[in-house]
Amino acid sequence: MHSIYARVNNVSALLSTCTMCLLAAIALSSFLFTASPQGSLDIASVQVVPGNARRYRNKQQEFAFVNFNITADLTPLFNWNTKQLFLYVGAEYTNRQGAANDVVIWDKIIRRKEDANLTITGRNKYVFREHSSSFKKAPPAHYTLKYNLMPYVGALTYGEIARTTEPVPFPESREIS
Amino acid sequence: MSLADVKAYILEAVEGKIDFEGQKQAEYITRVALIAATILAFAVGFILQSLQVTFVILGVSSLALGLAVIPPWPVYNRHPVAFLPAKVEKDSKSQ
Repeated sequence: MHSIYARVNNVSALLSTCTMCLLAAIALSSFLFTASPQGSLDIASVQVVPGNARRYRNKQQEFAFVNFNITADLTPLFNWNTKQLFLYVGAEYTNRQGAANDVVIWDKIIRRKEDANLTITGRNKYVFREHSSSFKKAPPAHYTLKYNLMPYVGALTYGEIARTTEPVPFPESREIS
Repeated sequence: MSLADVKAYILEAVEGKIDFEGQKQAEYITRVALIAATILAFAVGFILQSLQVTFVILGVSSLALGLAVIPPWPVYNRHPVAFLPAKVEKDSKSQ
C-alpha cells in the first residue's frame, strides 16, 4: 500500500468482492418475487389437413392447425431482475405408441413490462405433426400456456399460466375446401 | 540537474508513496466506502426496481473512491517517519 500500484490493487480487489456479493444478492432477491399470474387459453378450433411431407415428397402426412385465444396479464413477472419472458403454447397428449408428447406449437418473447398485458388471437407458428404421421387415433390433447422467466442474474424459472380445462380432440382429417 | 536526477524524480512521482499513517487511513476509507456503496446500491436499486440505478451507484462511487484514495494526496503524508539520528561509529583502533 506504499505505492500507487498497491493502492490500486487494494481498491480493485475489494471492489471485485463487493461486486460478486452484489450480484449474488440480486440473484437471491428474485426469490422474494413470487408472482404466479393466471390467464386463459381457449382453443378456438383444431383442423387436421392431409399433405405431403416437406422432405419426402411421396410420403403422406397429416398437419394439425390450431387456432387459439390468449388473455393474460404477465406484468407481475417483471421485476428489477427480469430480462425477458419466453412464452410458449404446448400440446400435451399421449399417442397410440404410449409416448407422452409435449409439442411446442407457438412461442413469443416479451421484453418489456408494457408489452406484458396480452390479448392474442393466434395460430400455431410451428408445424404440428404426429410422429406416426397421422392424428387418426391420437387421443384428445391438453393445451398449455407456459412461461420461462430469464433474469439478468440468477436462475431461470418456469411456470404455467393456463391450461385447457377439457382435452381437445383431433378432428378427422379433411382437405381444406 | 542531471538526467539521472530527472529520472529519479519522475519515478518518485509515479510511485506516489504515502506514509504509514496515510496507508492505514486510505485502507480504512476504502473498506468503509466500498461496503457502504454496495449496500446503498442494492437498497436503492431494489426500492426503485432498477438494476441500472444499482450499477450506476456502484460505478460512480468506485470512481470517486479511486480518486480519493489512489493519488498520493498530501493528507496521507502528514506523519513522516522520524528516523533516529545516525550513530557515530567509534574507531576502536584509535583508543
